[in-house]
Amino acid sequence: MKKSVKVMMMAAAMMALAGCSSNKAPETTAAPAETTAAATTGETTAAQAEETTTMPEGVAEIVDGTFTVGIGQFAEHGSLDNCRTGFLQGLADEGIVEGKNLTVLYENAQADGGTASQIMDNFLAKKADVICAIATPIAQSAYSAAKKDGVPVIYTAVTDPVLAELAGADGTPVGEITGTSDKLPVEKQLEMIRKMLPDAKKIGIMYSTSEINSVSAIEEYKAAAGNYGFEIVESGISTTADIPLAADNLLGKVDCLNNLTDNTVVSSLPLILDKAAKKNIPVFGSEVEQVKIGCLAAVGLDYVKLGEQTGKMAAKVLKGEKKASEMNFEVIEEAAFYGNNKVAENLGVEIPAELADSAAGLFDEITVK
Amino acid sequence: MTIVLGVLEEGLIYAIMALGVYITYKILDFPDLSVDGTFPMGAAVTAMLILKGVDPVVTLVLAFLGGAAAGCVTGFIHVKMKVRDLLSGIIVMTALYSINLRIAGKSNVPIFSKETIFENEWLTNHVPEALDPYVVTIILLIIVVICKILLDLYMQTRSGYLLRAVGDNDTLVTSLAKDKGMVKIIGLAIANGFAALAGCVYCQQKGFFEISMGTGTMVIGLANVIIGTKLLKKFGAVKATTAVIVGSIVYKACVSLAIALGMGASDLKLITSVLFLGILVFSNMQDGRGKTHA
Amino acid sequence: MLELNHIGKYYNAGTVNEMCLFDDFSLTIQDGEFVSVVGSNGSGKTSMLNIICGSIPLDAGSIKIGGKDITRMPEYQRQRRIGRVYQNPAMGTCPSMTILENMALADNKGKPFNLLPGTNRQRIDFYREQLHFLGLGLEDKLEVKVGVLSGGQRQAMALLMSTMTPIEFLILDEHTAALDPKTADIIMELTDKVVREKHLTTIMVTHNLRFAVEYGNRLLMMHQGNAIIDKCGAEKAEIKIESILDKFNEISIECGN
Repeated sequence: MKKSVKVMMMAAAMMALAGCSSNKAPETTAAPAETTAAATTGETTAAQAEETTTMPEGVAEIVDGTFTVGIGQFAEHGSLDNCRTGFLQGLADEGIVEGKNLTVLYENAQADGGTASQIMDNFLAKKADVICAIATPIAQSAYSAAKKDGVPVIYTAVTDPVLAELAGADGTPVGEITGTSDKLPVEKQLEMIRKMLPDAKKIGIMYSTSEINSVSAIEEYKAAAGNYGFEIVESGISTTADIPLAADNLLGKVDCLNNLTDNTVVSSLPLILDKAAKKNIPVFGSEVEQVKIGCLAAVGLDYVKLGEQTGKMAAKVLKGEKKASEMNFEVIEEAAFYGNNKVAENLGVEIPAELADSAAGLFDEITVK
Repeated sequence: MTIVLGVLEEGLIYAIMALGVYITYKILDFPDLSVDGTFPMGAAVTAMLILKGVDPVVTLVLAFLGGAAAGCVTGFIHVKMKVRDLLSGIIVMTALYSINLRIAGKSNVPIFSKETIFENEWLTNHVPEALDPYVVTIILLIIVVICKILLDLYMQTRSGYLLRAVGDNDTLVTSLAKDKGMVKIIGLAIANGFAALAGCVYCQQKGFFEISMGTGTMVIGLANVIIGTKLLKKFGAVKATTAVIVGSIVYKACVSLAIALGMGASDLKLITSVLFLGILVFSNMQDGRGKTHA
Repeated sequence: MLELNHIGKYYNAGTVNEMCLFDDFSLTIQDGEFVSVVGSNGSGKTSMLNIICGSIPLDAGSIKIGGKDITRMPEYQRQRRIGRVYQNPAMGTCPSMTILENMALADNKGKPFNLLPGTNRQRIDFYREQLHFLGLGLEDKLEVKVGVLSGGQRQAMALLMSTMTPIEFLILDEHTAALDPKTADIIMELTDKVVREKHLTTIMVTHNLRFAVEYGNRLLMMHQGNAIIDKCGAEKAEIKIESILDKFNEISIECGN
């Protein structure tokens, strides 16, 4: 018995040690969490200054009471980080401000399903008032963990809540769970590609077979491509290691590449862009971050805005104005055009004035991450 | 309380899989990576069957059989095609990735709206409301105890004796006029059956299948087995199967503790390996000799 | 009756390193014979046993037991009629299982290994009796794991286990070589007792010339894949250690050492 106790103590001591060395304080109170969030997304927020600074920051009156929100993010990823930033901003707009009347518990599952459900148990144990789940798998974990305690879950960056069974076919919640979808504006993207490349015929799309969102997006692209005179050439991969070969293969067959929000592919985007640039093949993105790092253009979502919209929904639940089960999930209303002049110049492609004028963002350089 | 129940639930689910890893790692001395594929396979099979309206209890059996079939393939590749143990597992694990996608049809299949062994009409009608938070844990406990007892009983049969003998000294199995290859295949089949059963239970409890859920299953299983057997070694009377179950719960408790202490998931794997190493080293120091399986 | 007909076994065939172990080697062993095999290292003694048991494949020739050709039969199937004790005492028992469980395993040889209880409780008295026959007191340690027994005790058990079920051949592969002289003597006496009691046809490979001379009714000396001495019956009984030793020296000089 003595021995096993010793082992346990040793284990605990080791964890405590590891805890000290990690940059997060054991009790994630508001202040340090904010620093972390700011640190990881600092670059993004700065770059998007033109949008975020116009927001009426801090104007809202601080709401009475104290709230605890557990934010569980599925993976470390630019778009998802933006969602989180936006979510906190959305709450702040409604008078629920981190560090004042809001305690934020933040965990990242690093794309591990087992960890995801333990994160949820941890949030429940710490009596979170609302759980915010960022991305599909963790939203599902959150739903199955929280439903027995009746804790409301607000999700975001779930492409198809109906398919994920987080909402009924008519969009009504299946329980105390609602949120926002980051469904890609497929038609608008195809329309934009047609305007940019009037002669293109084949669009190559690379996606990982393990990501449900990508699989359903591919289906949608295939269904809509004909309307714009395109043919979709798909290439499924299962790990990052497959990407170089798949990219070489795909680039030989198509006129341009189109990129989804596929986590695996996006994380290897610089490699794909490099290969495509050598062959002078344009790559289209699906959101602003991808355009910044070298995609030609995108009709995409602003994940910060998506997060804000989600944060406002969470605020309603926290303030008791509405229950999660009373709100249908929402999609972001408008998709914006983003273009990269530098990439266009390199490729010898002109961004049509019609698009350039309506652009939510045009970048003159390629940001190397 | 939530966290304790959470740890018990997670620990018990993984305990089923760890019983399988116990067979391959401790008894057969076979580092079987195919469990990384059979765990999600059990979940994929379950999600599909439940969507087709098959009784959730029946899926337990079918998932086990599916896993056992995959285990046979690993065994066949190793024994008959003479591929090294680790490689046989990797081959099957890789193949199962695609097969699981085929079985499930897509990479994420939710079954939230369906009846499962944890949520069904019978339970709603028969279980008093006060017990509601404990239902999942109780059902899991029943499943795990049944698995443990069946495995213990099997180990006392003639076939079980042979399985124990093959890991210990396979020359003896040949001397007993038995094909040691067949015995290994049987062992792998049972082990992967347990892994798939765990995947089946996991899927029913979480309410969805996700293709990536199997990543690292083998490592968790190994950790469970090693933590359990090393921690409980002093208590000679404790059966190894019991130790494995305790190990699974202890492991999940440690992970949970790490999360509760505010450690990021990015550090979790490191902590796991440090914990792992710590227990091995500590246990070896207690033995006074450096002899270990690992 | 065991027949080895025109056995050929080569290593690295077709390369410059080709090594011929057996070339057209034939041997017949009659039922009831106790054959002691001696010879220097690399003379083919253990290879002969491995060929009989099927542990290594043949390049030429055939093997028959009781007139039935078993050349292509896999090793484990041959073992049904053969009992084998190895040089290493660990090879014949299961260390992590108890004495009782080991006995039960051996007792089940040749029967199906199904889901019936591994240990038949009604046989325990029989196992006790068998262990008592060894005279090592193991009958009182049924629940002890075999792994904690000494090499001699384990080898005695291995001998008992390999002869527990009816077999046609007992193969002893230097089974006393890893034991101290006193234990080796005890095991050798036991072997003789078991062989006589069960009327087993036995092949014993040994480096102990005294054992080779004292035990058995036929003696083979192997050299370069051939039997250069083969004496049985009365001729065998007259052989002295010295004459074998002389022969040994003779072939060693031939080989240049």
